[in-house]
Amino acid sequence: MRSRFVWLSALLLCVGLACAVPHLLAKKKDKSADSAAEQKRAVHALNRLTFGPRPGDVQQVMAMGVDRWIDQQLHPEKISDSAVESRLTPLRTLHMSSKEIMEDFPDQPLLKQVMDGKRPMPSDPARRAVYQVQVARLQEKQDKKQERVKAENDRQDKNDQKEVAAMPSPAPATSDASQGAKTAEELAAAAASTAEPAPNAPADSNTMASMSPAQGESSNAAANDASMTPSAAAKSAPADDAEARRREDRLYADLKIQGLIDLSPDERYKKVLAMSVDEQVAFADSLRGGKGQEFLEGLNPKQTETLLAMNNPQAVVVEELSQAKLLRAIYSERQLEEVMTDFWFNHFNVFVGKGPERLLLTNYEQEVIRPRAMGKFEDLLVATAKSPAMLFYLDNWMSVGPNSMQAGGGPQRPMMRPGPYGPYGRRRFPRQYPNQNPNARRKQNSGLNENYGRELLELHTLSVNGGYSQRDVTEVAKVFTGWTIDKPLEGMSFRFDPRMHEPGPKFVLGHRIKPKGEDEGREVLHMLATSKQTAHFISLKLAQRFVSDDPPPALVDRMAKTFEKKKGDIREVLSTLFHSPEFWADATYRAKVKTPLEFLASAVRATGANVDNALPLARQLNNMGMPLYGSQPPTGYSMKADTWVSSSALLNRMNFALALTSGKVHGVRVDVVQLAGGPPASVDATTTLSTMETKLLAADVSKQTHDSIVAQMEGPAKDTKLDPGKKPSQPKPPDASTIAGLLLGSPEFQRR
Amino acid sequence: MPTRRVFLRNSALAVVGTAAVPSFLTRAALGAVENGTRTKRLVVIFQRGAADGLNIVVPYAESQYYSLRPSINIPKKSVLDLNGFFGLHPSLAPFQPLWQQRHLAIVHAAGSPDTTRSHFDAQDFMETGTPGVKVTEDGWLNRSLHSLARSPQNSPFRAIALGPSLPRILSGSEPAVAMNNINDFSVGGRSLKPSPAATAFEAMYDHSSDSVLHGTGEETFDAVKMLKAADPGKYTPAPGASYPKGRFGDSLRQLAQLIKANLGVQVAFADIGGWDHHVNEGATEGQLANVLGDFSQSLAAFWTDLGDLGEDTVVVTMSEFGRTARENGNRGTDHGHANVMFVLGGPVKGGKVYGRWPGLDQSQLYEGRDLALTTDFRQVIGEAVARHLGNSNLAQVFPGFDNQPGKFLRYLG
Repeated sequence: MRSRFVWLSALLLCVGLACAVPHLLAKKKDKSADSAAEQKRAVHALNRLTFGPRPGDVQQVMAMGVDRWIDQQLHPEKISDSAVESRLTPLRTLHMSSKEIMEDFPDQPLLKQVMDGKRPMPSDPARRAVYQVQVARLQEKQDKKQERVKAENDRQDKNDQKEVAAMPSPAPATSDASQGAKTAEELAAAAASTAEPAPNAPADSNTMASMSPAQGESSNAAANDASMTPSAAAKSAPADDAEARRREDRLYADLKIQGLIDLSPDERYKKVLAMSVDEQVAFADSLRGGKGQEFLEGLNPKQTETLLAMNNPQAVVVEELSQAKLLRAIYSERQLEEVMTDFWFNHFNVFVGKGPERLLLTNYEQEVIRPRAMGKFEDLLVATAKSPAMLFYLDNWMSVGPNSMQAGGGPQRPMMRPGPYGPYGRRRFPRQYPNQNPNARRKQNSGLNENYGRELLELHTLSVNGGYSQRDVTEVAKVFTGWTIDKPLEGMSFRFDPRMHEPGPKFVLGHRIKPKGEDEGREVLHMLATSKQTAHFISLKLAQRFVSDDPPPALVDRMAKTFEKKKGDIREVLSTLFHSPEFWADATYRAKVKTPLEFLASAVRATGANVDNALPLARQLNNMGMPLYGSQPPTGYSMKADTWVSSSALLNRMNFALALTSGKVHGVRVDVVQLAGGPPASVDATTTLSTMETKLLAADVSKQTHDSIVAQMEGPAKDTKLDPGKKPSQPKPPDASTIAGLLLGSPEFQRR
Repeated sequence: MPTRRVFLRNSALAVVGTAAVPSFLTRAALGAVENGTRTKRLVVIFQRGAADGLNIVVPYAESQYYSLRPSINIPKKSVLDLNGFFGLHPSLAPFQPLWQQRHLAIVHAAGSPDTTRSHFDAQDFMETGTPGVKVTEDGWLNRSLHSLARSPQNSPFRAIALGPSLPRILSGSEPAVAMNNINDFSVGGRSLKPSPAATAFEAMYDHSSDSVLHGTGEETFDAVKMLKAADPGKYTPAPGASYPKGRFGDSLRQLAQLIKANLGVQVAFADIGGWDHHVNEGATEGQLANVLGDFSQSLAAFWTDLGDLGEDTVVVTMSEFGRTARENGNRGTDHGHANVMFVLGGPVKGGKVYGRWPGLDQSQLYEGRDLALTTDFRQVIGEAVARHLGNSNLAQVFPGFDNQPGKFLRYLG
């Protein structure tokens, strides 16, 4: 009841000063009831089509008319988005092709080629600095590994001599070796799920951690490093003179770096590029763990990127994309397009922690997903099928027909180009794996990989209940043999390789697919995109995103009908959804629990916060169990409440809400005075609370939430109960930022 | 659940109310309540992504094994022999002492009888405990508490999942808590006294009419208070318990911490990902070897860390399905069927591989490609639920499955 009252009174406020005259009020009653309903519609539409209403959004949508606004959102190309674009300008990798990204932010395989002299060191000074440091580090790592292997062999030799009969002791040996042999992929996967600061692990979460605020640590950096160097040196006993000298050089380099801080930004940058390699390595090391923010101050975006890339090139790319994702969710005017981009990325999920994915995501999200987010489903399906990100993530790029030329003794290519992606890609057979089967040689890399075929049917199109069999999975896998990746080190692109393709007809879902190379895949994709099951599955998922966890089947059926009739036109399916009575039903209002991303973005939007640096926000998502681009399994993240309602998650949300409004989330500024409607002295607590209830929750707040906050404002004083006649004690001056935090952490705000 | 609330108000909360009491006394008080009967614990570990059982517990005496896996097999000389037929992957060396002390048992060719090869569905089936039935909403680990006498302490930590969200296996009508990080498990700071914000949040969620958020909120605040009262503080694992870095090691270290803080943990769940090796799985070294190293070191550290408490603990591991008996074209394996399960604990009659081995000849393979299933995972778990936790109402825990004690493998002493 109370909530309705607050809401109504807020509404009256909105309607305007006309209400000042009492007799007008009576006449307006009907009209205001209408516009109350209209406001609720606007709030609901904003909750579902956007990442949450910003201050003023509700009024704007009402002024425009809810239906017209929805129609506009369905046509993002008609909405100017210059405000967010200017925020994205400094993130230069967003405007680069995969090829440029791979050149400027080199990954291990490319660096290894440079190290081995197979590629020249770039001549451009900025690029050169990035490469030099990485190659030096790689070299050092390799040297250390060799040293370790040698020490281990020596030790084992000695042991063997001592105790011939002793039981083989694989425990220490293998665990050491396996630690050393950890692939980048696993490091990334591990880092993505833990957020432990492992200095050079190339994963998003870790690198986000490394972007933590400087907090004046840089001045201590040299001292810290100095104290750490000797102990580190002592640890690796067989460190030779060269090693010791290198360490000493770096110690001096640290001091030198400190001396550069007072120079102008341009001078500073030039000096770094002119440093010796060892000095550059030391400089890059000094940026580890998020230090060196001070050093980067005043540099232009390109300079900043270069210096950060000297420490961790791939991280720059993922961090910029993560920033862009959050900035778009928070600031883009094309909100529905962003919601749908997020939806489709999640539907066609790929994982940042798998090998070179981190360099492909920018292209995948911006070129493959977003432009088709409101288009035809089949276009999206084909584009993802051909995208290097998907080909790599679900392993299809290396699936070979068992009877293909490549497998069946046709002239083998001496070495397939993707070879450099050793740990997770094709590579010549490592010696340590014994071949017991004489046929093994022929079989290597000459078989089917079912991974894509299965997920294509289960997750991308028909759904798990879509009526396919294991045989269909195998046949689909055969169809897509030869869909592979070209130019693995120069941006990667799709290529159909007929030599890898399984010859002969295939039988998919009862259809005979005639042999026709690449077009077989196109035929199957068309078949899947136009299947009834797909229409139903996609409609169901959309309804789960926009309506409720268990959407009404009748609605899903109508959406599926539109899907079929309009040939998979996503805009049309959404239109059916947004104009359905189910979407506007009372039961649908606030029926969805926000995912962590939705919660975080909506909280920032609701407060009208200014985001200077979105990386700390991205880090918060790691804590909430939803790291950006961090869903390892191909299912993507769940959209259902039960996944996201847990003790841990709730606590994280409450703590985030309090941190956000009290200015403790670095890089994000919330104007609490504005939110409270004025400075603390000028507004009393009750007004502040109701102003904030209106701004943050469209004044639709439960009595429980309201009373709990009031109780906290009043403090523990309970004496009013003893004497009901007495006026309640004056509320204590409230802490406006805490009130805002409490509202954002309330049960109501967890829903949309 | 009025009784639960009443009890908490009267005990744990009362303790919180007297924040001045030193934490060791609080702990003693909680412990005293518990001492009447020792808490039996069941810990379930899920290997998400379909672990390759055939390269984990290797049937090295089967010649078929080597012809099916020409490039990714574990050579005879590298396996850690168990019984002349099976051997452990060398990265499981930390398991060897546990096996020798007979705390570790193995069940091979076990798993879910459902034929799906979808990760998502298969995991769901193993967590609901009703393979093939999609409408089951709660998990068997939650149901396993249904008919069980509550420990007098009635702790919010009775059922706990380590991780940011509550997995299906623990969802259901029994309160359960998901915890990502002990140190972050509070609102508005870690001080012993609840912050005003925490009090306001608690009141909000306590009285909320939002049934989903209300229930979780209630459990959350109970747990926060109890954890504060127990003051786990900075934790040092027992000597010799060295957890590897990473999420799984962290999960088990924190679980040991909760168990040792006497918080009344009865059932617990943790998971470890990274088993889906379609490409370059590796053999004695490589991707599988690495994740097995993490897996076995973490579990061995957990076991060491528990010390005497291990006597009342049973740990069971599972994975949604096994992988193809044959390696695929990329030196990896695709989705298969039966798998291997480990059982570790004080009451376990270890040092033995349980279950019937179906063989790897073409005719013996399931659908001509996968290890056949001879033990339903519910038989394995059913025994732990009935004979260890003491819940004999297995028909409720595993509806639709005939889980007669006569069918148990009798791996518990």
